[in-house]
Amino acid sequence: MLDSLLSAQLLFAAAVLGSIYALVGLGLNLVYGTMRLLNIAHGDILMIGAFSAYWWFTLTGLSPLIALPLVAAIGAGLGLALYFGLFRRQLAQGLPPAAIEARSLLLFFGVSVVLQNVVAFFFSSTPRAYRHLDEVVRIGDLAMTGNRIAALVVAVTLLAGMLVFLNRSLFGIEIRALIQHREAARVVGINVDRVQMVAIALGFAAAAIAGALLSMTEQTSPFMGFRFTIAAFVVIILGGLGNIRGGIIAGMLLAVIEIYAVTIFSAEARSILIYGAFVAALLIRPQGLIGFGKRG
Amino acid sequence: MRNTLSILCVTLAFGLALYFGGIAAGPYWQLVALNLAMWIALTQSWSLFSGLTGYVSLGHVVAYGLGAYTMVILFREWPVWVLIPIGGAVAGLFALIVALPVLRVRGPYFVILTFGLAELVKFVLLAVETALGQSSRLMFGAPGAQTLLAWMVALAALATLLRHFVGVSVFGRGLIAIREDETAAETIGIPISRYKALAFALSAVIPGMVGAVMALRSTYFEVLQVFSPTISFTIVTMAIIGGAGDARGPVLGALFLVALSEILRGVSPQLYLIFLGISLIGFVLFAPNGLTGLLRRKTS
Amino acid sequence: MKRRHLLGLAATAAMTLAALPAAAADPVRIGYTMARTGLFAAAAPSQEQAYTLWQEQVNARGGLNVAGEMRPVEFVSYDDESDPAKSAQLYERLITSDNVDLLIAPWGTPHHLNLAGVAETYGFPVVGNTAASVAIREVAPGNIWFPTSAIPDRIGPELAAMLSEAGVGSVSIIANVLPFGQENLGFLTPALEAAGIEIRMSENYPPDISDMTPLITQIKAAGADAVIALTYPADAFLYAGQARELGVEAKLQFMLIGPTIDAFHKAFGPAADGIVTLAHWSPEQAAWPRAKPFFDAYVARWGQAPDYLDSALAYMSLEILEQAVAKAGLDRDALREAIATGTFDTINGEVRFDGVQNAVTPTAFVQRQGDKMQLVWPAAIATAPLTMR
Repeated sequence: MLDSLLSAQLLFAAAVLGSIYALVGLGLNLVYGTMRLLNIAHGDILMIGAFSAYWWFTLTGLSPLIALPLVAAIGAGLGLALYFGLFRRQLAQGLPPAAIEARSLLLFFGVSVVLQNVVAFFFSSTPRAYRHLDEVVRIGDLAMTGNRIAALVVAVTLLAGMLVFLNRSLFGIEIRALIQHREAARVVGINVDRVQMVAIALGFAAAAIAGALLSMTEQTSPFMGFRFTIAAFVVIILGGLGNIRGGIIAGMLLAVIEIYAVTIFSAEARSILIYGAFVAALLIRPQGLIGFGKRG
Repeated sequence: MRNTLSILCVTLAFGLALYFGGIAAGPYWQLVALNLAMWIALTQSWSLFSGLTGYVSLGHVVAYGLGAYTMVILFREWPVWVLIPIGGAVAGLFALIVALPVLRVRGPYFVILTFGLAELVKFVLLAVETALGQSSRLMFGAPGAQTLLAWMVALAALATLLRHFVGVSVFGRGLIAIREDETAAETIGIPISRYKALAFALSAVIPGMVGAVMALRSTYFEVLQVFSPTISFTIVTMAIIGGAGDARGPVLGALFLVALSEILRGVSPQLYLIFLGISLIGFVLFAPNGLTGLLRRKTS
Repeated sequence: MKRRHLLGLAATAAMTLAALPAAAADPVRIGYTMARTGLFAAAAPSQEQAYTLWQEQVNARGGLNVAGEMRPVEFVSYDDESDPAKSAQLYERLITSDNVDLLIAPWGTPHHLNLAGVAETYGFPVVGNTAASVAIREVAPGNIWFPTSAIPDRIGPELAAMLSEAGVGSVSIIANVLPFGQENLGFLTPALEAAGIEIRMSENYPPDISDMTPLITQIKAAGADAVIALTYPADAFLYAGQARELGVEAKLQFMLIGPTIDAFHKAFGPAADGIVTLAHWSPEQAAWPRAKPFFDAYVARWGQAPDYLDSALAYMSLEILEQAVAKAGLDRDALREAIATGTFDTINGEVRFDGVQNAVTPTAFVQRQGDKMQLVWPAAIATAPLTMR
């Protein structure tokens, strides 16, 4: 038992899963944090990213990794379209956060239904998959498939880049200011509209990229997103809403539960452990496990 | 007093219309009527807690599922009419037990917590069923569709009356005070924990009974199917579409969504979900206060 | 010039007139519901695409033979949102307000069981397809029939027999907790014990599992001759990918559902070579002359291979219906009689019903061998010998 717990194989699995969870959570967190929008279509944006990568590979035969900027642009474009089409006016009305949350929940529910069914209508709900970077690299006892290494590297790079951007750049600091104190941000002269635009574009792009990465290792289908919407919400609630760093830690934590708790207990208990840990964490710390105040 | 009488009359008339209309319109529409009654009962119950207190529950399927599960495991042992209230009691009891810790959590944290709790219960029961060697269950000899429709309409009427009378009671005004400002409500002496817990439990009882009846309707039980999060999402959607405020909202919301799906399904079976999604979006944009909001604007 | 024009017009008119009787024949309306959204949405297209292909083929050859009269086929279908109760409700709608002439099946066991009740109530004969549970035997015979032979109480013993004959002495089992996985596990475990095959490990997992590294580590440590993964489609991809990554070295791997899907082959290619799975049809069987043409037509129409289990079953059920209608027409009593007593020529060979079940087709397994899916068990219909690593 101890042997397997200390194996590099489990660590690798946890790292891949955790970085994907963290990336999916990050996108949701940006959108919620800056605008209080409860995006339950988040997983569907991921699905759009996965389909984009699938079609890119199928039509051009080129690596979906090359197409990541394109996939990100598709995600960002979708985010901006929704922002200007649906949310900009709602947000400008100065509604209380609870009203915005309720309305956005319903709007995104509609968006989710439309996205899933439009994709299903045009491409059918048959699962899709392709083969890319699937050679297995072995280092000692550790075996890694190329596409999982790629997913890990891309996700970690993006997470690190995003943290640097949010902490170091002026624009990033404006985003964090908006997350922490919306009214104060407006008062000190931050262009709230522009910050919101960038936040939704970044959030959606992150989800689309996560989808493209997953399409290399999983099947792609129009209804694949819901699972990730849930995972993303669990991650950002555990990490504290709007707390970017907390969310990344929570993503990793979730993967650790999924891999190590399952090794110690049993695979059958997997979902009970995950939701059990989530519920327990909220009951003990009603504002999220990692949210000590609201630090970015 | 006159108001009370008129509410009773309207509810009774609507219930009878639904029952006899459903039966007269033929077998398919009878089932549509059953669905409509089910959604009214569920949404009214949800509104009793979430509408009044402002704590948005995204896990109401738990009550429904526990009621269904009670019915399925005891179906061969006890008569059905005993099991329906037992299903309600089980759901209410569960809500009461989890109420104290769960209701300390607020806002979006509460929304996702209730969702997570529902998933937790789902997976625990899935493990229980697996351990029992019962991955799916079949029920033979359930009562016919007309009987089920009668029960469901009765539950819908009951839920509507309960929602209305709680809403206008001292208890209900206490709940609304909690929604407006929980701290202020506490300082003026409202026993907030007890009120919230009571409303939470009360809002689970009828969904439990609804679940028990629906288990009879589908005759096939599988945990994943019965505890599907879609049910919770649909309840919340109907409640928001209907609009908060009083007992008309859930009825209008359920009526609107059921009618819209039936119409769109007939017009375009291939695209109806896409149209449904677009209608939903349009609705939120152009009628943000729900159907009751529209009505109020018309009358004022 | 004008004259030629007129002549042309006359010719067109004559041709139109000649074609009129065929075009004027009332279409035969066939109703079904499909899980286009919800839990089963990913599985359903393999069935619906077979339906569409059949419809196009029938209409292209002049229509459906209804006791001698050729009539075009028209489908009336609804999304049942993967909800068995809703499916049953919509079947009632198809019967009572859409007035369809024939019904064909929805996807999956629970939907079939609910449909059985509707068929019984209205005395409407339906040939089922994608149901696979011992529960179908509890259905009263008379109005619904199941061409499948993939039923757990037969799969277990047959799988044990195949492994035993292949000299497998020990197995590791992982099973999805969903009904089909558990039902199979229930029949497989005693069958393996009876065959004297040692079960080194047996673990369940929930349907939303996202990583199988811990399970596969256990499988590797157990070191059994064969791995039996009682999978559903989503986790089949997960298992196959990660088993390959970690290098599971069993002589044989069996997976329950998944490897018959076209995307599975696209995802793993040669890495899926040697995986054995559940299906009783293969285009390679020369004794079934209809098999290969169906495969080719499906690939030409949809750009992907049919699902060896679901697409084949869906198409078979339509062939049975077609042949019964040719003989008996649309009268429900005559049709019921024709289905119950007839012998049918399908892509899966001859089919005949005994009660609700297919009395001819044996429970069988297929193995991915290169680009082909070969039947490897039982010997009577095998198209290639089982290969082991």
